[in-house]
Amino acid sequence: MIHSDIMVSDPSKSLFRRINIYLIGSLIALNLIGLVNLLSATTNIARHLRGVFNDQMIWISLGWLLIFFITAIGYRVFIRLAYVIYALNILALIAVMVIGKSSYGAQRWIDLGFFNYQPSETMKLAMILVMARYLSRFDPRIGMDFKDLLIPGLLIGLPFALTAKQPDLGTALLILMVTGLMLLTMKIRFRVLLSALCLALIAGPVVWKVGLKPYQKNRVLTFLYPNRDPRGAGYNSIQAKIAVGSGQIFGKGFRNGSQSQLEFLPEKQTDFIFCVLSEEYGFLGCIATLGIYAILLLSIIQTMIMARDMEAALMCVGIFALILWHVFINTGMVTGLLPIVGVPLPLISYGGTSTLTIMAGLGWVSSIYFRKDMFG
Amino acid sequence: MRLNIIHESYNLKELHKRGIVLYIFLAVLFSLVLMRLVWLQIIQGDTLYAFSEKNLLKEIRVQPPRGVIFDRFGRILAENLPNFALTLSPQYIKNTEDLAEHLSPIIDIPAQDITHEIKKSIRQNGNYRPVVIKNFLSWTEINKVELLKLDFQGIDIEELIFRSQPYKDLFAHALGYIGEVSSRELPRLQEKGEIHVQQGDIIGKSGLEDRYDSYARGVPGISFVKVDAKGREALGESLKFLGHIDDLPPKHGDNLHTTLDLDLQQAAADAFKKTEYTGALIAINREGEILALYSHPTFDPNDFSKGITSQKWSSLVNNPSKPLRNKAIQDHLSPGSTFKPFVALSALQTKKISENSLVSAPSAFRFGNRTYHDHTQTGQGSITVTQAIEMSSNVFFYKQGLAVGVDTIAQYAKALGLGKLTGIDLKNEAPGLIPTTEWKKLNRGEPWQEGENLNIAIGQGYVNATILQLANAYMAIAMNGKVYQPRLINKVTNPRGDTIQEFPALLVTDLGDESKPYYISAENFKVVQKGLYRVANGEHGTARSSKIPNFIIAGKTGTAQVRGFSADEIYKSCYVRPLKQRHNGLFIAYGPYETPEITVAVLTEHSCSSSKSVPIVRDFYQSYVAKYHPDRLSKTKDMK
Repeated sequence: MIHSDIMVSDPSKSLFRRINIYLIGSLIALNLIGLVNLLSATTNIARHLRGVFNDQMIWISLGWLLIFFITAIGYRVFIRLAYVIYALNILALIAVMVIGKSSYGAQRWIDLGFFNYQPSETMKLAMILVMARYLSRFDPRIGMDFKDLLIPGLLIGLPFALTAKQPDLGTALLILMVTGLMLLTMKIRFRVLLSALCLALIAGPVVWKVGLKPYQKNRVLTFLYPNRDPRGAGYNSIQAKIAVGSGQIFGKGFRNGSQSQLEFLPEKQTDFIFCVLSEEYGFLGCIATLGIYAILLLSIIQTMIMARDMEAALMCVGIFALILWHVFINTGMVTGLLPIVGVPLPLISYGGTSTLTIMAGLGWVSSIYFRKDMFG
Repeated sequence: MRLNIIHESYNLKELHKRGIVLYIFLAVLFSLVLMRLVWLQIIQGDTLYAFSEKNLLKEIRVQPPRGVIFDRFGRILAENLPNFALTLSPQYIKNTEDLAEHLSPIIDIPAQDITHEIKKSIRQNGNYRPVVIKNFLSWTEINKVELLKLDFQGIDIEELIFRSQPYKDLFAHALGYIGEVSSRELPRLQEKGEIHVQQGDIIGKSGLEDRYDSYARGVPGISFVKVDAKGREALGESLKFLGHIDDLPPKHGDNLHTTLDLDLQQAAADAFKKTEYTGALIAINREGEILALYSHPTFDPNDFSKGITSQKWSSLVNNPSKPLRNKAIQDHLSPGSTFKPFVALSALQTKKISENSLVSAPSAFRFGNRTYHDHTQTGQGSITVTQAIEMSSNVFFYKQGLAVGVDTIAQYAKALGLGKLTGIDLKNEAPGLIPTTEWKKLNRGEPWQEGENLNIAIGQGYVNATILQLANAYMAIAMNGKVYQPRLINKVTNPRGDTIQEFPALLVTDLGDESKPYYISAENFKVVQKGLYRVANGEHGTARSSKIPNFIIAGKTGTAQVRGFSADEIYKSCYVRPLKQRHNGLFIAYGPYETPEITVAVLTEHSCSSSKSVPIVRDFYQSYVAKYHPDRLSKTKDMK
């Protein structure tokens, strides 16, 4: 009941000291790498895509505004509103399903005029919030038991089902993996882990039989047996591998990647952007980029360790998981470690929703670091 | 409260420690990616660099040959011919106009047409889809194009497969046509699990080519060719990359063995071409095998294999005689008097009449406050049921219709396969309609009027049937009530010739089964068969002109109005009406009478009279006898 103002006025905690410079620095670096790469990826792309670079500049600027705004208002607001945000997002997902029915096939967005709002993207953030709020009551020394996981299971299951139904299996799995890492960090009893593993082994074949659309099965099979369908995903995967590998150690240089420039790569400004980077800047470029990601992720862990409450720490874990999984799945897919899934590379791939989501999440982290020494 | 805060701060400290989990995940996942990068960029870097620099991969989807379609004696009805086609790949073309100027004189296509085709394809399919500019290149054209390839990028000569029906328009409706899968069909096929189908693949679009597409289509192969950085094919040893890419040969489609008989199909077409009428013929045997299925006018499916021009397509679609429709199965129409045998069977089985009951059949019949007419001015006097069928008396059947009632007639007619899909192995079959009182209440919201029984009794009003259904039902009448499912395919064999699926005869309903509500005794079938015999052979028979020597047929004619429901208007002044309002002529006949083998149904559209269909049936039977009973034919010669 004493100290909040004193701490803020402590001269050693100047405004500058309250900013996580590793976070901000690595973020700026990734933005720059992304933009330079985009210039390269869009040289001879069809005319209507020339706006890609300008668009991305706008998204990044908006992202920075978001970071400042969130840092200013603080993260507690979000925690307080966690369940409301979660519920609204679920409603938006349902709305997309209803609207999506009228058009052909899968629809994942709502047209807001200036922007195609994709509720499944913001759902990732809402999921982190609601889990942070709910899990904060548990004791990480004991570990979570079956009964503790009932409500988190429901909270995860609903958006999982809704996004999987769209069908957007990539996002659905990401929701599962991000929340999974949060739960793991909170500690899960061994017997629970063991049962989950058994369940997965049993459920796997069932999901394969009834849960997956033919095209999804096709992607997995193609990954396992590239010879099976060398035209479709197999072909992309092979071309991507050639692009990455041909960069060798030093790369071919800016706009000199023959694979990238000769249009052998699909979606090269979005999901396959890492190909352009590794072809043109080689192993060194990849190491540097991954290194910067590592700095960003480490700065999030650093913030998490300094967080002043459970919710804040858990939010950091969630954002960490979000970025780590995106980076791993994207680079893994491009290099042939994983099947082809439509997952963007955070902060480097072109795309408004992805850029804004990640930067909003980093806004939370920044805000948590900003308030790490306050009592409230 | 205080305790809670302390508790929570302990929790928080513990959670901070758990940051180790995050360090571990970060380290493991990033190491995996790093190791993979080392493998690809450092260890395999040289190989992959060479690929990207000199040897770009271009993959070509190799279309599989579709299965061959045979007639019942193994004669080829649809096959595959080689087609050397000139294709252009827009992604490699530098100057479209320049290329078109140079190509134009070689292949004799105006330069602006070539540029137009290229631009259209880019608009519709993007840069990566090659455009077929000309099919069936001659050897001189191929040589000249090969020379041009040295100066221009993006030109290719592809060996494609041409799906050919050697008898051109003869089997158009039975076999159908093929074409490139459309962007609307593609997602539907993939939903059904046909994951191999991709844009540019050839699929069956109608007829058997469509219905049995999953058998006949085969699986496309992939061939990888090395191309230099400019997209030209590079010569050299066949490509093996990391052991991952081998050429994948296409898998041939399976062969379809139809029940059709080329000679009979030809006879059907010839018989139709002698007349001026449009319409259809279907011939079906005791086991439901369809021997001939012909719809007139017809079209040439080879035009579709070539890639149909928009003029040709619109002329087919806008032709008022609707050549693309399979009139034998898609058009359901009033059966008219051909429905009378079903009414006769109902009346006999429900004992409203017996074989020898005499019923007076004057020229008009008054019911309610309306007069219903016969098609004769005089009427037929007192007649039995067989005579009524022979002369096609309307008044006789008006009376039976009233006595039996619509629901009982419907029960027997439906058991004989009318008013529902026969299950023929073609898509878009029309189900026809046999009304009941319940049907009318449900669909029209009105109760059944007794007067409507009169219309039903002579096959007008709501009654609708395809000639396929009628042929199948008459075959069943000839066999004392055994209804088989009609079919066009006997078996499917793989390219090596092994049978992979057989489609045996399928008995759908047996009206001779006494335990069933629709049971009809063999005696009653005999009575109606006698009536049908007299139609073609009696001195008053409406189809007595159909007689052929040594081969007795039995059947029923029908002249069915196209519009309006009132029975008394049927026979008025047909020829003065606009064509589309004139009556349809029908004749359905089985033969030989003693041991029925085959039933033929013929529709002549808007011919005003069944007598226009009779000669077509007769011609067809003459060909049938010539082929299947040549002994009877020689007897005639001896007699002469």
